[in-house]
Amino acid sequence: MVHMCTIVPISLTVGANRIVPTVAIPHPLGNPELPFEDEKALRRRLVSKALHALSTEVDGQKVFED
Amino acid sequence: MQLKLGQINITDIQFGSETKVEKGVLYVNKEQVLAAVADERLTNISLELAKPGESVRILPVKDVIEPRLKIEGNGGVFPGFINKVDMVGSGTTLVLRGAAVVTTGSIVGFQEGIIDMSGPGADYSPFSKLNNLVIVCEAPEGLSQHEHEAAVRMVGYKAAACLAEAAAEAKVDSWEEYRHLNLYEGMKKYPELPRVAYVYMLQTQGLLHDTYVYGVDAKKILPTLMSPTEMMDGAIVSGNCVSACDKNTTYHHLNNPIIKDLYERHGKDLNFVGVIITNENVTLADKQRSSNFTAKLADMLGLDGAIVSQEGFGNPDTDLIMNCTKLEKLGIKTVIVTDEYAGRDGASQSLADADPLADATVTGGNANEVITLPAMDKVIGNTKSADIIAGGFDGSLAKDGSITVEIQAITGATNELGFNTLTTREI
Repeated sequence: MVHMCTIVPISLTVGANRIVPTVAIPHPLGNPELPFEDEKALRRRLVSKALHALSTEVDGQKVFED
Repeated sequence: MQLKLGQINITDIQFGSETKVEKGVLYVNKEQVLAAVADERLTNISLELAKPGESVRILPVKDVIEPRLKIEGNGGVFPGFINKVDMVGSGTTLVLRGAAVVTTGSIVGFQEGIIDMSGPGADYSPFSKLNNLVIVCEAPEGLSQHEHEAAVRMVGYKAAACLAEAAAEAKVDSWEEYRHLNLYEGMKKYPELPRVAYVYMLQTQGLLHDTYVYGVDAKKILPTLMSPTEMMDGAIVSGNCVSACDKNTTYHHLNNPIIKDLYERHGKDLNFVGVIITNENVTLADKQRSSNFTAKLADMLGLDGAIVSQEGFGNPDTDLIMNCTKLEKLGIKTVIVTDEYAGRDGASQSLADADPLADATVTGGNANEVITLPAMDKVIGNTKSADIIAGGFDGSLAKDGSITVEIQAITGATNELGFNTLTTREI
């Protein structure tokens, strides 16, 4: 399982093992301030990162930083 | 900095031909207040009274504001909104103690609150003990939530300022005096006493969870230092119309009990160095930056101890824990003040975040506890809101007019400044 979330410390507290940091609490997987195409690229990047995390073996908790 | 607060005790509120205080009665001239608060963004504004012991329910409550008037010294109350952005916190300010303005009307957002003036619900809100001028604001369809919130917020401040004018001619019942020494004076005067500051976390998540400091949206600030007397003149106001039980209304900001208690101990067993205000923003980087700055300021002040209060719940638990752990790691003994969402049976984890360094906690109670509020003879505001306020659920409002909700729906119930009487205990 991958937990995509903005506030990583909470994710760590609740015990997620694959954590992908996201944008902001009201819009974790997007950024309304970006132009449409840029936001689409951002979203694709985050989902790709999550898929990468999902296919990575982990030993305990791991935060997938950039 | 020195501030004198003149308390004028208000024991009753009535409508009258002029706005004045006479023998403890606050008379309110309706037309005068309505003229003062007029706002073209709102379709209708009306006034009601709600007094302690009456069979009256107010919902959905947005803000509660104490009327205060500055009569001597720099600036005026609510700088950046009602008065210019001059620095406040010194001179003389009059307080209509026992009176408040409560804003209600059509709901702006999920999580607005309830105040019952009698019955079991009254015990859960400190505002049931006040003589309230309730302002019912109706917004037109299509007005954005943010415009709606801003309009109602200004109506509240303006009404409080209008009532406060009556203080000028009233007899002062008692005086309180608060003096804030600068760092050098404080150190020289109390070299032996532990240096303690108050870290005042302000709700700034946006989406109707906002707080303003001298008119500035506090999500845009870096943590900064303030004199505790500035709050008493309304330098910090609430734009947070949600999270009823544990938000800080403007009334709370004016009457912060942590500041009051630190003053009581100041010069006796501690040296109250000042207030660090910080925010609760919605990105991790913001949380890290703000807690870093909070810890840096605490370090620069050479603190021995700190009290940190939270506003709201959920992700601000992370701001709270970051502030606490960073202070503790500097060797500054830290107490946090929060509340809990431990489930209706109290058995769940209370906070979303935790750390072993947070080993001294004061709690304002468990917001998930369920209560049934019996029907009242009169409802001011909008009863249908019961189903969509936080802690309410579909069917909260029964046919007989009673409401079954979690106490998180009650304004001020689990306040995280210790402004209420609830707490929890382990069993």
